[in-house]
Amino acid sequence: MAPGEGGQAPLLAGRGLHKRYGAVHAVRGVDISLSTDRYVTLLGPSGCGKTTILRMIGGFETVTAGVIALDGRPLLDTPPSRRPVNTVFQSYALFPHLNVADNVAFGLALRRLPRDEIARRVAEALQMVRMDSMGARRPRELSGGQQQRVALARAIVNRPRLLLLDEPLSALDRKMRKEMQIELKDLQRRLGLAFLHVTHDQEEAFALSDSIIVMNHGVIEQEGDPETIYRRPSNAYVADFIGGSNLVAGKVVACAGGEATLETAFGPARAPCAPGVAVGRRASLCLRPEQLVIGVGGSLGGTVRHTVFQGADWLVEVAAGSAALRVRCPDEEPPAVGGAVSLRYDPAKAWIADGALAGDA
Amino acid sequence: MDGGRTFLAATVGPVLVALIVLCLAPLGVLLVVSFFRVDFVSIVPDPSLHNYAQVLSSGSYRYLIAKALMSGATIAAITAVIAYPVAFFIAKRIREVKAALLTALLIPLYTGDLVRIFAWRLILGREGVLNSFLIWTGAIDRPIETLLFSPTATTIVLVYNYLPFMVLGLWLSFETLDDHLFEAAADLGAGRTTILLRLVLPLTAPGLVAGALMVFALVVGDFITPQLIGGASGVTVISAIADLFGAAFDWPLGSAIAWTLLVAMVGVVAAVVVILGRTPWGSAAFGRG
Repeated sequence: MAPGEGGQAPLLAGRGLHKRYGAVHAVRGVDISLSTDRYVTLLGPSGCGKTTILRMIGGFETVTAGVIALDGRPLLDTPPSRRPVNTVFQSYALFPHLNVADNVAFGLALRRLPRDEIARRVAEALQMVRMDSMGARRPRELSGGQQQRVALARAIVNRPRLLLLDEPLSALDRKMRKEMQIELKDLQRRLGLAFLHVTHDQEEAFALSDSIIVMNHGVIEQEGDPETIYRRPSNAYVADFIGGSNLVAGKVVACAGGEATLETAFGPARAPCAPGVAVGRRASLCLRPEQLVIGVGGSLGGTVRHTVFQGADWLVEVAAGSAALRVRCPDEEPPAVGGAVSLRYDPAKAWIADGALAGDA
Repeated sequence: MDGGRTFLAATVGPVLVALIVLCLAPLGVLLVVSFFRVDFVSIVPDPSLHNYAQVLSSGSYRYLIAKALMSGATIAAITAVIAYPVAFFIAKRIREVKAALLTALLIPLYTGDLVRIFAWRLILGREGVLNSFLIWTGAIDRPIETLLFSPTATTIVLVYNYLPFMVLGLWLSFETLDDHLFEAAADLGAGRTTILLRLVLPLTAPGLVAGALMVFALVVGDFITPQLIGGASGVTVISAIADLFGAAFDWPLGSAIAWTLLVAMVGVVAAVVVILGRTPWGSAAFGRG
């Protein structure tokens, strides 16, 4: 823990959050803590409970069990209209009968602020999202990216303590999504505002986040900065979901000083390991495609099954025993399909994560 | 391009012909006849504005036309107030039995005017269901005579008859409303009243206008309900026209009244559209930017 961090109360603190819809247990005991000035993403596949958590904080979903506090004060008894948080909805939810400026002014007008102050703040917010020339347009006259910007302006103009973003970029095409990612991050830095962003796209999470919370089946699997999540996944689920690691399951036979030895189908493998890995437990050796090198004298051998051209490099799938290993090959010519290859990796850069995926031997 | 034009002519042509023959031609005949006059038992093609002068100078015809328009507007307003919560409920709170509810809403329309009207006479009559019930509970000693054959009775039955049209119009509007709009408004600090006034009303205005136009036109044209339920108050402009076409055999005067009514109705509708079009709601409703 960094000095001073312990003493400071978090901006938002959720404890023991549960959500049940009838028989479905969507969120199962989540603790979440956000500090001011940080960009945090909730990352996970659809149905993992990430949007439910966002909607609980926004006030659009009741909480089956647990508490949420904002600035140290309980939040759950406050209706959404009085919570000092604002949301950017996935569908943008712009009011179709109001023009851009009136959409952005909606929240300020409800607070009965003086007209000139409303006009000034609306202009400021629109300028911040580079939509200052569009104030008189109707939402349906705007492109998806422009609607997204208006939705952002409409939320930040109220100067919330926390901005919630529910898959805000999912409706945009790839190029626009990349541009908006940069703008979102830039906006968050300039405003010095806490952003909580829900996404299923790991690239998006990496591009934006100071911290990523990986979720699965209603629980948090791991929380950390993007590099930690990518390089040191705590368990097999995170390793598989992030970065598409090759996972070689096995049994831990030795574990000391942050390193473990795993007995696998390819023989023993020794590498740094995640906390929680212990002798006798099942664990997975994580080898990301870019860590494997095709060459002679490697410890893994197999047959080339497919090669896929990816622009910058080739993705080569190698059948090794019962496993299929994906390898990034930077050469101009990929190895011939059907040929035997040998794979090697630097054990110091490999990683052993706790547990194994269901179905892995 | 030529192929496209042929296709257009082939598809639009028949529609246009059907529209002219079925809708406009009868109205045209009425318009022509309205300028003629009657000589004992024959219609004399001697064009003049005599019939229109008679309609406009007659206090009772003016009263009947005004009464018809007022009645149409009143029933449209009452059905709108009742239909709003019903349409909202069906569109936004019901999932499984939605189709069943909508069908149930339309069932009264399948039974025919007369059956419905006599059902209401059984309910509202002197020895009807309502009076019997009130006497049984001890709320009243003698049956209320004015339940049936009164303007109130006519209003009740007209509302019952035309409520489904208003509900359908509003239901369609509610169905197309994104629920996230309500959440977004709440997120920005709006309470229930604000959401109702600043989102729901403007965004369902197209459905309200569609429903109101249907109810308005149907109520103005309904003369059986007032006649069989309204008693002495049941004289309508339509029944007057029917009398002129039937017993009195004065088709020209009947046609002139019919055309005056039509022009008055179009005037009301146009006024509503113009006034609404100037409000922010209206421009959302009619799609102008």
